[in-house]
Amino acid sequence: MTARDLLPIAVFAAVAALLPVFVTSGTWLNFAVFTLIVTLAAQGWNILGGYGGQYSFGHAAFFGTAAYATALLQVRFGVNPYLAFALGVMAAGLVGWIIGLLSFRSGLRGSYFALVTLAFAEVFRVLANASAFTGGAAGILIPLDVRPGNFQFASRAIFYWVALALVVAALLITRTLERARLGAHLVAVRENEDAARALGVDALAVKLSAIALSAAITGAAGALYAQYFLYLDSNIAYGTWISVEALLGPIVGGAGTAFGPVIGGILLHSLGELARKLLGSVPGLDLALFGVLLILVVRFPPRDIPGLLRRRARR
Amino acid sequence: MSQVFSPSRRALLLGAAGILAAPGLSRAQAAPVKLGILQPVTGALAQDGEYGRLGAELAINEINSTGGIKALGGAQIQMVFGDARSTPEGGTAEVERMNSEGVVAVVGGFASPICLAASQAAARYDLPYIVDVGVADAIVTRGLRNTFRFSPGFGSVTRAALDNLATLNNNAGRPARTVVVVHEDGLFGSGMAQLMQRELPSRGFEVVETISHPTPARDMSNIALRIRSLNPDLIIPSSYYAEFVLLARTLQQRRIRPKGIYCVLNGAASNFRFVREFPDAANLVMDVNHWADPRKPKTAELRRAVEAQNRFWLYNTPINYSAVMLVADALERAGKADRTAVTEALTKTDGSFTRHIMPYGPTRFENGQNMAAQAVNTQVQNNDIKVIFPTDFADAQPVFPWPA
Repeated sequence: MTARDLLPIAVFAAVAALLPVFVTSGTWLNFAVFTLIVTLAAQGWNILGGYGGQYSFGHAAFFGTAAYATALLQVRFGVNPYLAFALGVMAAGLVGWIIGLLSFRSGLRGSYFALVTLAFAEVFRVLANASAFTGGAAGILIPLDVRPGNFQFASRAIFYWVALALVVAALLITRTLERARLGAHLVAVRENEDAARALGVDALAVKLSAIALSAAITGAAGALYAQYFLYLDSNIAYGTWISVEALLGPIVGGAGTAFGPVIGGILLHSLGELARKLLGSVPGLDLALFGVLLILVVRFPPRDIPGLLRRRARR
Repeated sequence: MSQVFSPSRRALLLGAAGILAAPGLSRAQAAPVKLGILQPVTGALAQDGEYGRLGAELAINEINSTGGIKALGGAQIQMVFGDARSTPEGGTAEVERMNSEGVVAVVGGFASPICLAASQAAARYDLPYIVDVGVADAIVTRGLRNTFRFSPGFGSVTRAALDNLATLNNNAGRPARTVVVVHEDGLFGSGMAQLMQRELPSRGFEVVETISHPTPARDMSNIALRIRSLNPDLIIPSSYYAEFVLLARTLQQRRIRPKGIYCVLNGAASNFRFVREFPDAANLVMDVNHWADPRKPKTAELRRAVEAQNRFWLYNTPINYSAVMLVADALERAGKADRTAVTEALTKTDGSFTRHIMPYGPTRFENGQNMAAQAVNTQVQNNDIKVIFPTDFADAQPVFPWPA
């Protein structure tokens, strides 16, 4: 990696890190933390969906697994929250690898792969909803005990920095992947899997690495969600909302680019919040406006924001 | 008329500046007290949220039109409304906003997950949080000093439901012995089904089968056929609105008539929409649920006000009305719009708080739970929802077993 690769990330990190110094309102920080958590989930999706071209509709499976693992390890087994966080991320990666093994080995691609991931997430949701171990439908509550040693902070700003650090880490991972052999192989598989195999790329191994990494990053978002909101139930952890959020950001911001999910995530959530501020007095109207904007973005090519900027620049 | 008194713009500006510059004077007018009302008015729970908001609005209007908070010099209550969007993080975000707007307390939440997350967010700021409906027992067992629940929790509701069922059955000469439990596979349903299986046998009932269904479910024919073949004396459904309405209608169409349908915390059985839209299917269905005290004159007055707006009379409205009154009562006793003082006053609420319209005894909070809160048994009779149990609050006799 060269300095040119790292500069935008460093600038983004520096600007974003300074934000809580100027903005201290809890409302704002809460919004920012939530946006960063969703962005992180989208960054995970982007590895597999954006670079690998394997569109998953079920990233909730990874988000939820890490969230539940983090919460359950703490609540049921008294594991240190930081360790639980790390184990949760690993659990998500493992689940990703297993789902990948099952579906990629069977040669599932395109919409078939998307449907299988959707089904996995649904199965997990139903299981988590039914099992007493996960708290069933009543969900699971991480006890409020605000101590830094407990991964709970009195100030929302610290949580913001933690979330930001993870987003920046994911940016660095993505950038490294772009420049690494694995990234090149992944793009080759996306563009033409048969051609890539003919050239000696082990497509299965490449896709498995990608899904494990992708799942781990989205899992980090889930674990962070659990640690921030301290409450989970099966619809939050494995609900379709996060699967959709995870793919919406990259699609709007630019799938297969390092900054795509970040731009898309921040833009979409800011738009949602803005619509809410403008039209908040009539419940639901802001959601309608948000929907219209989304349709416009997806309808008119180039589909994503960076594409639009490039086209403007060419003129 | 305009010539009689028409101050120049400059005079008006001067006057306004004078008011701003003289805080001592403006304080005599009593600053309004901001109260956060949190309800899900978009998303899956929008209907419940709207009715909760209605209750809070009615209470606030009533307080303001009857002289405001007297201990604060007649201060008006100003509603700061937040849409929880039917999600916990939506609720959390709104609590953050309410906090920054300086509310003295937050009322509402409706669903347990929203209440759990929102009260926790409020706890960070020592902001009193009054849960309206959320029944999860965990809400008041977390040791949060700021969280209060005026209405009953799951444990207390189900205990009452089981005891009252046994009493009802015994009083009628034990006509019901076999039970089929139909439940949705979520929070209420599954938990309730387990509880029924555990607790009903010791009360003289035999659970012949528990049948679960997902939410949403769009067809109840198979469940109805299964019930017909099992032929139980009693059906105990635990489902949300649409699914229970569907089940009740399917049972009616297939002429399956048990000796009773006994619901617990059902989404439809204590809902006037169901009674109005499907009076035959709803007739004589029993429920154990939140319900306003039918003997209080205020209840009838509020119900008329709600129905005058072409809305249904749902329990969300009286519960939120009562919860806002609870805050007003605490403000009166605290004597200042200060969060810690209000929390302190809420903790000390006692039987002197009578402005609520719920069928509860003298209020007493223990770890934030109103120990006097209770659910009541209702039954649909003559297109109306009547309270049949406990007898202290009842306005009708139970019709059980159902006439053949």
